[in-house]
Amino acid sequence: MKCILNTGRSVPQGVSVEHKGSEEYRTVASVCFLNSVDMMVLGIETEARVRIASPSGHVVLTARSADGLKQGEIFVTIGPYANHIISSETHGTGMPDFKSQCVNVEVTEEPVRSVGELMEEIGGLRYDRQ
Amino acid sequence: MIVNDVVCPFCGCLCDDLELEVKGDRVVRVQNGCSLAEATFMNDTRLPAPIRRTTTGWKEIPYDEAIKETADILKDADRPLLYGWSSTHGEAQSVGVHIAELMGAVIDNTSTVCHGPSILAIQEVGHPGCTLGQVKNRADVVIYWGCNPVEAHPRHMSRYTTYATGFFVPDAQRDRTVIVVDTRRNNSSDIADEFVQIEPGGDYAVLSALRAIVRGKDSVIPKKVAGIEKEQLIRVAEICTKAKFGAIFFGLGLTMSRGKYKNVRNAIELTDELNRHTKFVISPMRGHGNVYGSNEVFTWMTGYPFAVDFARGIAFYNPGETTAVDILRRGECDAALIVASDPGANFPRIAAAHLAKIPTVVIDPHVNATTSLSRIHIPCTAAGIDAAGTAYRMDGVPIRLKKVIERGYPDDAEILKKIYDRLNGSKGP
Amino acid sequence: MTELLVRNACVIDPIRGINGEIMDIAIRDGRIVESVSDRAEMIDARRCLTLPGGIDSHTHVCGTKVNFGRYMSPEDMRAGRTRRRGRMHVTSGYYVPTTFGNSYRYSAMGYTTLLEGAMAPLEARHTHEEFTATPHQDMLANTLFDGNWAVMDAVREKNIQKTAAIVGWTLNAVKGYAIKLTNPGGTEAWGWGEDLTSIHEPVRHFEVTPAEIISTMIRANELLRLPHSVHLHCNNLGKPGNYQTTLATFDLVPDLNPDRQTLYATHVQFHAYGGGTWRNICSKAEEITRSINNKPQIVMDMGQIMFCRTMTMTADGPMEFNLHCLHHNKWSNHDVELETGSGIIPVTYSKKSAVNCIMWAIGLELALLTKSPWQCLLETDNPNGAPFVKYPEVIGLLMSKRYRDEECATLHADTEKRTSLHALEREMDWFDIAVMTRAGQAKALGIINQGKGHLGIGAEADIAIYPIRTDSLDPAREYRKVVEGFQKTRYTIKRGRVVSRDGEIIVDGANATFWTNARIPEDLRVDNDPEFIRRFQEFYTVRMSNYPVQEVYLPRGRCVETESFT
Repeated sequence: MKCILNTGRSVPQGVSVEHKGSEEYRTVASVCFLNSVDMMVLGIETEARVRIASPSGHVVLTARSADGLKQGEIFVTIGPYANHIISSETHGTGMPDFKSQCVNVEVTEEPVRSVGELMEEIGGLRYDRQ
Repeated sequence: MIVNDVVCPFCGCLCDDLELEVKGDRVVRVQNGCSLAEATFMNDTRLPAPIRRTTTGWKEIPYDEAIKETADILKDADRPLLYGWSSTHGEAQSVGVHIAELMGAVIDNTSTVCHGPSILAIQEVGHPGCTLGQVKNRADVVIYWGCNPVEAHPRHMSRYTTYATGFFVPDAQRDRTVIVVDTRRNNSSDIADEFVQIEPGGDYAVLSALRAIVRGKDSVIPKKVAGIEKEQLIRVAEICTKAKFGAIFFGLGLTMSRGKYKNVRNAIELTDELNRHTKFVISPMRGHGNVYGSNEVFTWMTGYPFAVDFARGIAFYNPGETTAVDILRRGECDAALIVASDPGANFPRIAAAHLAKIPTVVIDPHVNATTSLSRIHIPCTAAGIDAAGTAYRMDGVPIRLKKVIERGYPDDAEILKKIYDRLNGSKGP
Repeated sequence: MTELLVRNACVIDPIRGINGEIMDIAIRDGRIVESVSDRAEMIDARRCLTLPGGIDSHTHVCGTKVNFGRYMSPEDMRAGRTRRRGRMHVTSGYYVPTTFGNSYRYSAMGYTTLLEGAMAPLEARHTHEEFTATPHQDMLANTLFDGNWAVMDAVREKNIQKTAAIVGWTLNAVKGYAIKLTNPGGTEAWGWGEDLTSIHEPVRHFEVTPAEIISTMIRANELLRLPHSVHLHCNNLGKPGNYQTTLATFDLVPDLNPDRQTLYATHVQFHAYGGGTWRNICSKAEEITRSINNKPQIVMDMGQIMFCRTMTMTADGPMEFNLHCLHHNKWSNHDVELETGSGIIPVTYSKKSAVNCIMWAIGLELALLTKSPWQCLLETDNPNGAPFVKYPEVIGLLMSKRYRDEECATLHADTEKRTSLHALEREMDWFDIAVMTRAGQAKALGIINQGKGHLGIGAEADIAIYPIRTDSLDPAREYRKVVEGFQKTRYTIKRGRVVSRDGEIIVDGANATFWTNARIPEDLRVDNDPEFIRRFQEFYTVRMSNYPVQEVYLPRGRCVETESFT
């Protein structure tokens, strides 16, 4: 399903923002909010996993319904999960398209990875001592 | 021990009325603060000591060694990037600019992925604004456009707008009309007197429509603009022109969506237009506690609020070219110093990935996503918790952050000064 | 102990009545002394013009609105940029340079002390941060009280003592130097998008008039025994016909202080317009100077404009909006809760504009028609009338009728009809210029006792040595050499150290900030007044305990204590 990805802040994200290695942060930042009709179309329930793909990459997130969203829109908290698929093109402004990335949403069985795993995928190394 | 009138350093509101209970080197209770403030003070886990990445893991190293290696990395670099700065105090930011100047580096702050486009708009058309107390004491109309204060600035409404008692607004809830404009319903829109739900990417059109109506050209407006009924647009325009004092607060909904700085420019020009009818002001909802301070410090030292490139010897500014995301995307920088921020989590993957390819040093109190991408991470004090210093509120009011506890970490300004001295053959800035 | 001996200096020191004497100046540890040992470092001034360090008594160089002027103007930052070189940091900007740019360029012109013209108390910390980054000049801050709620309440109650107590507490809290009133009452009216049009029009809700605010503040200022007088930006700035407002304001001013003026009226050029519209605007410099010449209790500064692109920035928010509606360029505004306002717009003063030409002529007329140079000081309201780097040209114009005539020949034809500049023969001499650029400022600001503005024994060794030989240079004819000479000193000495040589900065600076602390009787102190505290906590958005500027922001603060209420 083709959707527009929107990102933004939330209180739970802000509360755990200085603990990005924590399970709490992973839970908050890796949720993909969808319109409930879109969830029906995809044939999934809350907590199902979705694979979000853009020309810049793909990431697996946990689906949850949110009534504030219109059909065809998805919302992910600002952070490493959303950024995994956002293009780094800034159109000469310095600012990527954090709020208007076109993405493809599909159901998946793949697991949601941790922030550390995402960072390792791009050449990092986890520091786990928390 | 109870400490009064403490400033919360987390977001651009810089609420300065917190009451903290301190036991030894821990804050055990936070009063008056929102949940973000509580987490900031009470859930403050730090990286215990400087660490260096080895082939197999991480190794603790002494501060002196970490500082020396950082200086060596910067010295060896042809095009270093110094990025971050928004969660620390002005004193550290100022040393950062001096390092950038000395090294011919690029220095950028987090407004680059936040309100950078707002700055570009302001550079085109200016900024009719005010301090938050003007809004609190006078505003009878408040518009939140593309921002979600309940989630991102939880006390904004109670301290400055919707629920705040002001001198000329004794009964805030009755005397103020609150309008929320957003693409989705959220906690903020739920408490609005008027919710305007725009189709994604429709902000520019809606702002243009409102400008036309305020100018008396409503006949040119079609039945619907970006999903909004013409009747609602006319109603909103009328609320605005009839206001005694109106205030627009806008967020990343304008700066990050299609049109970016042009959206903000249009919103400012709407404000300008409304000033020909009544009093109106507009302000960006700045995110990080001291992001506005980084703009201020950069500006008085270099002339530009962000994205400053010293490679030519002079200060050079060209957003889109000298902005951090673009420099990383192009793989241009060959070393990075990241201070008080987390580009690993906040930059698009391609940009973040470059940090892992080059020697990256992080100076930050907390372990974050960028830690994983770094060569060295040096922990330091957190401004407003165990270090005092200057921060600028989202409206430009400078406030002194307090040191409420001692945790034995060095101040980031001190660490940076030592790095500067090493680079400069120990002459001070 | 450091010693310096300046030999063969051609000294003009108006405060001591010295006019062109060749003498030596001995300096020890930053101060002027009788003599120094033979180990002292020596500078040969070669009979060049040597003056006390220049003092600007009204300039906008540091603080919230100045920085916003930079922030919104990358086009200007590109216009004046220099590299890091030796001791000099990178600089950017022409009409609103970065702090280092301001400091270096002022220093190259021999200026060693600056008064920032407008500091909003709530944002004082910002001004002091930039002061620290302006290292080669001692700094003082005019503190804005034009729309201060507590002051207006006290004025309405006709309570001079309480007014003084509020002012005294605030100056102490924000480390300000003097009282500034910018469009008094008008900035509060601008909180509702309105302005006042007469000094007798009451401010909504507060029910006080500008005339009442000015009169009460003048008396409160003297009760506090502040070194400087009230510093006033009159109402109705920049409006054709506003000279009547200005004259009426001058008529309010009693003569209360034997040592200095009782009112400092700033950038009077902008307040000396006749006519009623932009079409029939004309000069009223004669009327204004007739008033000044009869009122020793008033000192003014010129507010000269020069033809160039620059930035207007003032606490006068409504004026800036009106100007914006004429220029249609970018406009910034920043009202400050319970205190004041501000506005910023870029402007270009053009010789093709009759209005601009008339403004230019009025500034010069004011200076040439004021009999005593001590009563009309030289400045451009930097950067409002022009950036301060234009001062040497203003000096040249004042010293040479020929220069003025040559300029006038290039101006809009209406200039001659609507001003009388062409008829003025006066040419100022070196002594007049020394008064108008340092001695007059030191006296007006009340800092002679701080060792400023003169070269007497015990004075601070702030000295400017210009590459000008007054014995052989005829300023009336060779005005270009005058302009050039004042653009770049041979030496600028700050507190006994050479900081600038031939325009090159050679040391890191270490300036001082002067602020005033008036002792207020316990029973009058507002921080003991529960009602004052209650209103503060309720209506400001910062806590009262977080409002005062901590000493750490003034690494070299110099407190001027006054015995007030005596």
